Amino acid sequence: MNEILTQQKSIYIQIREMIENDILRDVLLEEERVPSTNELAKLYAINPATAAKGVNLLVDEEILYKRRGIGMFVAKGAKRRIMEQRKAHFYDDYVKKLLAEAGSLGITKKELITMIEQSRED
Amino acid sequence: MSELVAKGVVKTYGHKNVLQDVDLTLESGKIYGLIGRNGAGKTTLLSILTSQNPASAGSVVFDGQPVWENPEVLRHLCFSRELNQMTGNNANAMKVKEYLRIAATFFPYWDSEMEEQLVREFDLDVKKKISKLSKGMLSMVTIIVAFCSKAEFTFLDEPVAGLDVVARERFYELLVEEYTETGRTFVVSTHIIEEAAEVLEEVIILDQGKILLKENTQDLLERSVHISGHEDDVNKAAAGLHICREEHMGRSKGVTVLLEKGQKVPESADITIQRMNLQKIFVALCGEEHGHDR
Repeated sequence: MNEILTQQKSIYIQIREMIENDILRDVLLEEERVPSTNELAKLYAINPATAAKGVNLLVDEEILYKRRGIGMFVAKGAKRRIMEQRKAHFYDDYVKKLLAEAGSLGITKKELITMIEQSRED
Repeated sequence: MSELVAKGVVKTYGHKNVLQDVDLTLESGKIYGLIGRNGAGKTTLLSILTSQNPASAGSVVFDGQPVWENPEVLRHLCFSRELNQMTGNNANAMKVKEYLRIAATFFPYWDSEMEEQLVREFDLDVKKKISKLSKGMLSMVTIIVAFCSKAEFTFLDEPVAGLDVVARERFYELLVEEYTETGRTFVVSTHIIEEAAEVLEEVIILDQGKILLKENTQDLLERSVHISGHEDDVNKAAAGLHICREEHMGRSKGVTVLLEKGQKVPESADITIQRMNLQKIFVALCGEEHGHDR
């Protein structure tokens, strides 16, 4: 929860990713309470509506769930679900960009694969 | 839910139209940012919204009641003006303590506990005369008045102008704290746009006396993109899109684009598509290359 906000991405996306990262790194454990939107808003000096937007994305994806009157909690299986989601987006988020940059430099797919194989040996 | 509604507000000073037919609705429970260049009419607009200055034409209504010299309405509004050492005829000789005491009698919901807290936090010497205060201290006094007024609608004109960067960050923290605890509506004008951007739920851009735009800040940020690359590729990518600003350098071209609903810039390795920050969007909309001469 202590990452720094940047301008590269929407703030609500960063709030979402920060909570996800904390779950992946066991900073936040399953069935544990996460900070409220007001607490997040105060911590980052952002509008509570923006913080709520990020948190609600995680509720929609069942990473977090609400306990009425108590707050927001990390769902059971949240860590596994985040990893699955990120795997599903891995091609769009990383591979496509890699291919585009390789394409503009004239690096062939074969050369790319060689690079990947070599890096594994490191 | 309260609402402050301005309709057709015009303000003229001699032959100069400072505000031209301004329609503006402010809902309760939001933090608004009012941005505009020097002379755009920000202070005039804020003072008309709070009955400190009569409009030449048009109306300002709070929950159906006219604002002008209406004490029933004005108890819910606070306009904390930018102070300077020469404010008024003799305010400059007034001590901070006296200034705050007058403010306390003026605003029925005044919070003296908060006043004490903030005076301590800002390390403000209340025995000093207004005329002896530094720019930063003057800003602190206006901030204290705004917060402690506890008015439902609170307007701050350039509250951070004199503050150093640490105090400015602290101001926005305090603003979010007060907002989350009370749900009061705040309207903040500022030239230091980037520092405020994340706090503002909606941004109102005033340009040459007219409201150019009023929109959810995050929505505006999401639909504003900068496209750059070879002129031909940029022209192809931006065809049919609303371009607010262009820059050229040799064969290279950059454009700032405001996307409408459903529009998207086709991704391609030939162009760079970047997010804009609020300050850059503001410059693209109100900058000199946009046909303004000042």
